[in-house]
Amino acid sequence: MIKNVKIGTLFYRTVMWILLALCMIPLLWVIRTAFMPTSKALDLFAVAVPTLDNIRHVFETVPFLQYYGNTLLITVLVLGVQLVLVTLAGYAFARLDFYGSRVLFVVFLAQMMIAPEVLILPNYSLMVKLGLNDTRIGIALPFFASAMGTLIVRQTIKTIPIELEEAAKVEGASFLQVLWHVYVPLLKPAFVSFGMISVSYQWNNFLWPLVMTDSVGKRPLSLGLAMFAMSFETGAQWSDVSAATFLVCAPLLILFIVFQKQFIESFVHSGIK
Amino acid sequence: MFKKVMAFALAGMMMTGVMGTGAVTAEAANDDVMELTMYFPVSVGGGPDALIDALCEEYHEENPNVKVTPVYAGSYADTRTKVQAAIKGGNTPDLAIMFSIDLYSLLSMDAIADIDSFCTTDADKEWLNGFYDGFMMNSRDGETTYGIPWQRSTIVLYYNKDAFEAAGLDPEQPPKTWDELREDAKKLTVTENGQVTQYGIQIPSDGYAYWMLQTFCVQQDGFNLMNDTGTETYYDDERTAKGLEFWKSLADDGSMPEGIVAWATTPSDFLEGKTAMMYHTTGNLTNVKNNADFNFGVAMLPADESYGSPTGGGNFYIFKGVSEERQQAAFDFIKWMTDDERVAQWSIDTGYVATRPSAYDTERMKTYAEDFPYCLVARDQLEYGYAELSTYNQAEVQKAIDDAISYVMTGQQDVESALATAQQTADGILQAYR
Repeated sequence: MIKNVKIGTLFYRTVMWILLALCMIPLLWVIRTAFMPTSKALDLFAVAVPTLDNIRHVFETVPFLQYYGNTLLITVLVLGVQLVLVTLAGYAFARLDFYGSRVLFVVFLAQMMIAPEVLILPNYSLMVKLGLNDTRIGIALPFFASAMGTLIVRQTIKTIPIELEEAAKVEGASFLQVLWHVYVPLLKPAFVSFGMISVSYQWNNFLWPLVMTDSVGKRPLSLGLAMFAMSFETGAQWSDVSAATFLVCAPLLILFIVFQKQFIESFVHSGIK
Repeated sequence: MFKKVMAFALAGMMMTGVMGTGAVTAEAANDDVMELTMYFPVSVGGGPDALIDALCEEYHEENPNVKVTPVYAGSYADTRTKVQAAIKGGNTPDLAIMFSIDLYSLLSMDAIADIDSFCTTDADKEWLNGFYDGFMMNSRDGETTYGIPWQRSTIVLYYNKDAFEAAGLDPEQPPKTWDELREDAKKLTVTENGQVTQYGIQIPSDGYAYWMLQTFCVQQDGFNLMNDTGTETYYDDERTAKGLEFWKSLADDGSMPEGIVAWATTPSDFLEGKTAMMYHTTGNLTNVKNNADFNFGVAMLPADESYGSPTGGGNFYIFKGVSEERQQAAFDFIKWMTDDERVAQWSIDTGYVATRPSAYDTERMKTYAEDFPYCLVARDQLEYGYAELSTYNQAEVQKAIDDAISYVMTGQQDVESALATAQQTADGILQAYR
């Protein structure tokens, strides 16, 4: 058996295992500390009966359910609108040959080179003028049009044979029917990979909601966690911080484990990491 | 949401004069209650955000025509980000509580109004002169006042009396000089099987490292790290070097952990008995009081040539870019908040130092101090209070000295060359403001 494994492969696998361990240690530590009684939180090898006290304490101190609701609302709203817009725009750039379409596409792509942080001030001024500061729709609005999503959809549509569309048209399908029955099913892997990028971005977004929100009731999870964890002039309460961190990343982790196969397939498919 | 869109549409129509009558009613409604927005950070436990909410509520009850809406903006750094974005985005808040050392960054944005101009009556001037000088140092630029002290702290020495007894030291005699500190720390260090189980002292060297270094500087007859107009630093002064060398020598003695000591874990180390003494903010007093399962004491920081500690924490600021009427209302609110009784109650509830000497003469403060005399240590030390490091381009100038401290603490550079580099960096940054 050992003979069959080449030295190179062995080395390769060892490196993989070490990297995996490096990635897993913080996560495991957070999960462990989240369920460890406060008194033993900093003792690395302590063994104790798992407790839910930390989680309960977090829920009592911070309106986490409200934060969850806000984050879910913003993430779902952004993703929903994005998918519609991205599909239509991607189709237009891939299939419709209108005047200036290429220039427009390049201009559109240029958006990807601008970091969203740079746009915070102009976006914020605009939201203030629209009276949308401190609203959840205001947090979501600037992300509705996505250059990356449009690019992914356009490239995917380009790989779909146009004959499929033509055949559907011959059958008498309208434009929207073609889009819905021909393209959308074939675009699913693209949607999944783009969806994951979008969801994890919105889930973790910090600076924009920080600037936008004034009231606790409008704040998403990322902000709630940071404000909870960083109020540490008196010193960090590691078990509480871990419990809160666990609560924030658990849904994404579960989502990933459930959809693992699709995610990996979609990455292979779209070639985007 | 829908209401806001409607309000906006309405405003738009009014501007074009389509609905003249609407404008009159809207203005009348605005006249009734003036709504002020106040951003504030929370950096200590114990739910001060709820206290601030309650205070604003109380103010509204006493002054029905003014309503202050407190906006909890996270840490001090988050609050600064939010305020800067709001100002540039044309949504300037009326007032805010921010780091006292944000003064120069706010001044260079031309964002804050000077407080002196509101103090027109004798009573106002008396009120302004009623704050501790140690706190006002970070609230002025030269002679002009821009900030009003609110949640302010200093550094004090916390010590474990049980550990003192176990080491054969008198628990009522905390170290008073650098030499005593060094000797006591050595005696308090407990080693088992070659492993240190209890350190003599921990002085945090991350996050607020410059603040800790300042203690060792101002204890040399009040020598401070910078001038009072925010344009000069004295990082390469020999007194800075002496202070940093003393700090480092505690680790060399083995009575303080090698390398970086974390700000955030120092209080929990103290509470768990992993260190017998610690330097930390008075903001921690309530936390230690509630969680220590041993007898503890609080003392002024040990002196070299003199006692001394830099102050820290947050001030009220009033912003330019809102109408004079609103500024005046904000000023009245601040005056109300810093009334002796309220300052005393705030100090009792949070552990921050009361910012006015007269607050310590109030009944409630006297009663509290009888029960818990350690709350007076910070006040007594204020006689030797100095300004916290505050300059133009604060973040970078501060980073220069923080880096130097971590190089020295981790043994990567010697004191002299680390401080020389820090001074060079700071000079390069501050050149533009001289």
